[in-house]
Amino acid sequence: MTRERVVVVGASLAGITVAGGLRSQGYDGRISVVGEESVGAYNRPALSKGVLAGSDGPDDIALPALPGEIEQRLRTQATGLDVERRRVLLADGDDLEYDKLVIATGARARRMSDLGAASGGVQEITFRDLDDALSLARALRTRPRVVIVGAGFLGMELASACVARGAAVTVLDQQPPLRRQLGPYLADLLSAAARRHGVGLVHHPGGVKLHGTPGSPAAELADGRRFEGDLVLSVVGCVPNIEWLRGSGLPVDGGVHVDERCRVSANVVAAGDVVAFPSAAGPRRTPWWNSALEQARTAASSLLGGERTPPLVPAPYFWTEQFGITVRVCGGLPARGAPTVVHASDEGNQMLLTWPQGTAAAVNKRMPITKLRALARAA
Amino acid sequence: MKLVIDRNRCEGYGLCAEAAPDLMHLDEDDELVVDKENVPTSDVARAEAAVRACPVAALKAG
Repeated sequence: MTRERVVVVGASLAGITVAGGLRSQGYDGRISVVGEESVGAYNRPALSKGVLAGSDGPDDIALPALPGEIEQRLRTQATGLDVERRRVLLADGDDLEYDKLVIATGARARRMSDLGAASGGVQEITFRDLDDALSLARALRTRPRVVIVGAGFLGMELASACVARGAAVTVLDQQPPLRRQLGPYLADLLSAAARRHGVGLVHHPGGVKLHGTPGSPAAELADGRRFEGDLVLSVVGCVPNIEWLRGSGLPVDGGVHVDERCRVSANVVAAGDVVAFPSAAGPRRTPWWNSALEQARTAASSLLGGERTPPLVPAPYFWTEQFGITVRVCGGLPARGAPTVVHASDEGNQMLLTWPQGTAAAVNKRMPITKLRALARAA
Repeated sequence: MKLVIDRNRCEGYGLCAEAAPDLMHLDEDDELVVDKENVPTSDVARAEAAVRACPVAALKAG
């Protein structure tokens, strides 16, 4: 009898955490991991920080290699899934037969052209993987004028890294920076820091469009204000990599739908940025580091233990570093209204904050997740 | 395998200790303490899970 085989599609944090989790739970079948990138998994949050700053190279941010007995196939894209025959179809024409399947194909950068907001031959630069980070880090050597479209977490972290490298940076969005993501208090705190660092923050409710030619890209607000840059970055969120699942019959709509144990169907689980997890508002993607970890742990355990696995109760955890400020948050976001200041240092730069909705934030304060979570619960 | 902390990188997020609480913990000053530097074979998979969980790539498997 042939050994049972798990195929993991996606070799970034979620995929390899599931693979490692299966082994640590004693699974002794074959495990094959398929990944699209040319390198093994790395720490993606470091791309917008150390890699852009020039202090980190690929080796500094590599995640531990998978143990030898886990087969890893890089530079390989999955192009289809045949659930009936239990086969993952690959771009190179090969296919992989599985007994159990893990979907962890993540997400890719959304483009302004996906949103119908780019015209002509404008060259869009996005930021998602190691190559993007290395190429932007190189481009920053000439101190370019950088226009960033999208004032969410990543857009603001990129603004911070670019301005630290001597670039002239303007960030454009439909809404004030980070307000929709973090709520007014933390958004204002970080926006003020961005301005102190010389970043231009401009928004217009009518939105932004990309114009220009390949050689001279520009972004334009709905009121006609035009911003030209040497580089124009589109940082407008991410879209799940689900195209390969089309026609598979699996529940896929804006993300792979899972139950509270990260199961998609019999013998199929999913984890990470590709997943739309059940929430009060319906299935929602939560493309953050800690979500990938907790989903991957649950997925590994339910692939082996099924109903015996406790349902995942997401414990949202999020952090950002920008303009010299580190913010860590446990609990739901955006944080609505004014916080209670639990602690503030004399200079006021370190703070512990809580919101009655069950959210706690540590600003410039070293505080482990367990303590911050306890504070959020007690809020 | 051996667990190595890069003190210049570690910012005390504590996700590693959450992933492998019997191999490491944060002390009262929120500094990471590795309790089993030389990881026995039986714990290697969990030590690797802790290394992967570190959001700032401060914990390495040597």
